[in-house]
Amino acid sequence: MADKEPKILSFLCNWCSYGAADLAGVSRMEYPSNIRVIRIPCTGRMSPKFILAALRQGADAVWVSG
Amino acid sequence: MITFKLNGQTVQGEEGQYIIQVAENHGVYIPTLCAHKTLEPAGMCRLCTVELFDGRRTKFVTACNYPIWEGMEVQTDTETVHEGRKLIVEMLMARCADVPVIRELAEKYGIEKPRFEQEHETCILCGLCTRICERMGNNAITLTDRGLDLKVDTPFHVQTDICQACGACAFMCPTGHITLDKINELITANKPQIIKSEYDVGLRGRKPIYVPYPQAVPNTPVIDRDVCMHFKTGGCQICSDICPVNAIDHSMEDETIELEVGSVILAPGFEPFDPSSLDFYNYDHPNVITSMEMERMLSASGPTGGHLIRLSDHQEPKKIAWLQCVGSRDMNRCNNAYCSSVCCMYAIKEAVIAKEHAGDALDCSIFYMDMRTPGKDFEKFYESARNNSGVNFVRSRVHTINPVAGSDELELRYVSDNGEILTDQFDLVVLSIGLQIPPELVEMSRNLGIELSPGNFCETNTFTPVATSREGIFACGAFQGPKDIPQSVIDSSAAASAAAEILSDSRNTRTKEKEIVPERNVGGERPRIGVFVCRCGINIAGVVDVPAVVEYASTLPFVEYVDDNLFSCSQDTQENMAAIIEEKGLNRIVVAACTPKTHEPLFQETLTDAGLNKYLFEMTNIRNQDSWVHKNNPALATEKARDLVRMAVAKVARMEPLKESELSVNPAAMVVGGGISGMAAAKSLADQGIETHLVEQTDHLGGQAVNLYHTAKGESVAENLENLISQVKSHDKIKLHLNTQIQNVDGFVGNFKTIMLENDQEVELEHGAAVLATGASPYEPAEYAYGQDQRILTSLELDRKFQKEDPGLEKINSAAFIQCVGSREPGRMYCSRVCCTHSIENAIELKKRNPEMNVYILYRDIRTYGEKEYLYKQARQQGVIFIRYSLEDKPSVEVKDDSIAITVTDHILNRPVELNVDLLTLATAIIPCKDEELANFFKVPMNEDGFFIERHAKLGPAEFATDGVFLCGMAHYPKPIDESIAQAKAAVARAITLLSRQYIYSSGTIAEVDPVNCAACGVCVAVCPYSAPSFAEEGRFAGKAQINPALCKGCGLCVASCRSGAIHLKGFDTDQIMYQIFEMDEAI
Amino acid sequence: MKNLLEHMGVEPERLHFSWISSAESTKFVDVATKVTESVKSLESKEKKFVKTKPKVA
Repeated sequence: MADKEPKILSFLCNWCSYGAADLAGVSRMEYPSNIRVIRIPCTGRMSPKFILAALRQGADAVWVSG
Repeated sequence: MITFKLNGQTVQGEEGQYIIQVAENHGVYIPTLCAHKTLEPAGMCRLCTVELFDGRRTKFVTACNYPIWEGMEVQTDTETVHEGRKLIVEMLMARCADVPVIRELAEKYGIEKPRFEQEHETCILCGLCTRICERMGNNAITLTDRGLDLKVDTPFHVQTDICQACGACAFMCPTGHITLDKINELITANKPQIIKSEYDVGLRGRKPIYVPYPQAVPNTPVIDRDVCMHFKTGGCQICSDICPVNAIDHSMEDETIELEVGSVILAPGFEPFDPSSLDFYNYDHPNVITSMEMERMLSASGPTGGHLIRLSDHQEPKKIAWLQCVGSRDMNRCNNAYCSSVCCMYAIKEAVIAKEHAGDALDCSIFYMDMRTPGKDFEKFYESARNNSGVNFVRSRVHTINPVAGSDELELRYVSDNGEILTDQFDLVVLSIGLQIPPELVEMSRNLGIELSPGNFCETNTFTPVATSREGIFACGAFQGPKDIPQSVIDSSAAASAAAEILSDSRNTRTKEKEIVPERNVGGERPRIGVFVCRCGINIAGVVDVPAVVEYASTLPFVEYVDDNLFSCSQDTQENMAAIIEEKGLNRIVVAACTPKTHEPLFQETLTDAGLNKYLFEMTNIRNQDSWVHKNNPALATEKARDLVRMAVAKVARMEPLKESELSVNPAAMVVGGGISGMAAAKSLADQGIETHLVEQTDHLGGQAVNLYHTAKGESVAENLENLISQVKSHDKIKLHLNTQIQNVDGFVGNFKTIMLENDQEVELEHGAAVLATGASPYEPAEYAYGQDQRILTSLELDRKFQKEDPGLEKINSAAFIQCVGSREPGRMYCSRVCCTHSIENAIELKKRNPEMNVYILYRDIRTYGEKEYLYKQARQQGVIFIRYSLEDKPSVEVKDDSIAITVTDHILNRPVELNVDLLTLATAIIPCKDEELANFFKVPMNEDGFFIERHAKLGPAEFATDGVFLCGMAHYPKPIDESIAQAKAAVARAITLLSRQYIYSSGTIAEVDPVNCAACGVCVAVCPYSAPSFAEEGRFAGKAQINPALCKGCGLCVASCRSGAIHLKGFDTDQIMYQIFEMDEAI
Repeated sequence: MKNLLEHMGVEPERLHFSWISSAESTKFVDVATKVTESVKSLESKEKKFVKTKPKVA
């Protein structure tokens, strides 16, 4: 696995940032492709366990956005 | 199918295809300058020359127009081919040394300097322009002359109007030889024009095929027949060639459709005022723009990407002025005498946003006559704009905008408050344009036979605020009068309710029942996952390598079936998917396509149709969050798509069928408050067949309206109120509960249980919904010597005197009104909305009774919004004297024996004047009843002033965030009768959407407690914003937490906060998310 | 959370929080770019922390 690109795991709130991400697509904006998205119903669902698990799993960073 | 050899590989192509097309499909690159997929090939540039072996000998052919045949052998890049191409490039380089595409090619073929004589032409004679012109149906340009003189020109070198200036040739030209300027100068007699985007108010262009705006419903492109070349010449139709689903049909005609309906609702909107007729504003100057242009410029998705610039030089402005009332409150210059209601607020908003964008250094000034911010929370926004954001407010109507010679600046000349003439320069001037009804709507209204107001808005009565003059036709939105979004939303729901009232008998008579497919039990089965990857035409497949993703997905654990669809959301694909699910016995489905926010319900329905529980589904977004945003990096986009599919597969494998709990709805409603709003709501509910309980704490109906004399439109309140009361009392579906206090409310949406004390008897009421219309009361002033003398009254007390025809009114020779008593000051920073109109109305009434009477109105801003402005004008014409005072310098009142003496600083003279009057009316604030207990019963919020907080300030103005509870009237915010009734009807419309159903279904993705692990710590009960968790009171797990599925919104807050891990969020459970995390990186 | 990560020897720059409304696509792109850049600037360090796959959730 020779990926040099860092992988960032993002947890996006369904109602806020996930919508913003959709809209960014509709507007054909561009941003780096390092981000992998997990849709969560609300940032209230976030648990520190997820962040630790992601880092342990090899994510280079975690981004939580409400 | 034709099979042949391409560079030694056996390939296949369709009959009639050319070599270059098959090569492209197989990823073999053949250079060309003259081929284009929309045009027939011409073999002009010869660059695509390839070597062809026909079994006997080798020859050279142009790949772009040589059709394929069985058994041929093609070599695309042999030494000879390469040398031949190099020579062509060298010759092109000699002819067109300055053209970027040619230089690039030359570099590629290693040519530094051609051996031939150097020319500096720009045309390479590829013929793309003449061919596209022919395709456009014009034939305006052609290749003229021969040999060395061959060139692109019009026949006989004359400019004609054959050329439609469509610009297709310039678009096609690979070298930049043809430009729009040249077309204008040499080719066409027509004027080339950019097609202006209506949505971006001309700040940006658009294509003849376009989606009007990103939020358009349906979000389907339309063809503008006025500019589409096909409709001018009969040519082109390239769009129909390219559309992969053959959706374009140019032969479609407008159809006349006849519908039989029981009611019509008019919501045709308005048009923004066009300031170009006002020459003194110099709107043609690039730095004078309208507020609509400003809105687009401030929008992040707008023409400047949210970057604030002035149009003359695209520099950031340092100083901006807004001019209010352009096209409003103006009889001399545009015949719109009314106030447009929304401009003050949007100008403040624009100024605040502009400062947020550009920083504090940006100087923003708003020039206004009266600052009109009478909406909910608007006054606070105005205050904050002035005090916190530093927006300047200048009270003056600017007469002229003068461009400053030799610069891009604009000079404003205006008169200050104390009569001084001032000038100031600005970089950008925004005209706050008003709302008006376009002539087409006036025409439509005439055809429909409905009456219009003096301002051409739809005429309605105060007590039937959405009914037009023609029975069965209703109106809403700005067509009924200039208004903002919340009011428009209220009106639209009200119109729906009004229509439903007269159509109540036919409710549900034309509905069709959907056939329900029995759900297959998948318990105990190992996951059999089906993955559907969507191409979305070229939206996804154009970037992401869909076949690769499909192939990859088939290697993932538990995946039984993978396929790609051209458009997964199309109906035939849906049916196909359902068939595959059944045929292959799939029990978990992943769709990799667009966004679940719009398409999840559609695919879930497909699952349901295939007999699968709809929660055995996961959607992953490889369009909005992948192909669309990484279009320049197909390799990484494909990798991301693989990862996302893998994560989705990992999650779906762990999905379980979820049940949506079914809750019955009690089709009865309770309305709290027997004022106008409450009664209007009760009557509307009852008219729609709903059993309604009207609860009032006093012994009579009518609320504050019993004190009111006339409406702003001059209708008698008493008469109409009596009428309404008798209708409510006699309605067989309304049960009145007078002298009743609410003691407790239990339950939730669809099933409330209310305990009330009715005439001191405990009564229990079961209902499915509640409308809170608890109203407000007048402020009891402590200021202005109120209570010290009978000649000092509140507005309502004066109305009472009018009602009773008090003989004392005859003796009055002078009267004054003081506005904003208790409103718009610290501690009560809101405008009571109705008082300006009310006082002016009463001033006119006094003048009517005694035209010689001196009537003064002491005000801060006159806020006669909408067509109420006519009253203000009428009052001034009748000699009512308006004197402005400021919050810092309030008038003082002294009671004398023969008169009431009022001292106020006159804003024009700038010195104190004393008025001696026989009657002083205080326009007192409206104070909500602030029943915290009631708010608590229904778990609904209140703002600091005591008004209820609606679900959404703009889009949910008549309902609470708590399901099943609605609001209307002055409990929401001070408002006149028509707006109260409209909101009552709006609340009912929202309530009926609930009450007309027998059952409601809670979402399946809700939290659930595992009582065995629950430690009963109570954290979930404390953190839940929706009060869904509670402690079980009985049963085996008494004392443990339980979650009411009807109240749970599935946010997961309790799940994350649960210390014992006893709460699970179905559909987003910890292990499901964990497995997504684990699968984020390629399995090790 | 960031303190905890730092305690564990993970740079706090590897965890980002933001609040973006559904209309703020531009902000989303800005933050996404910034997050990526800040992570890339950390890349000189040793990359993965633990490479073992956890047994159960």
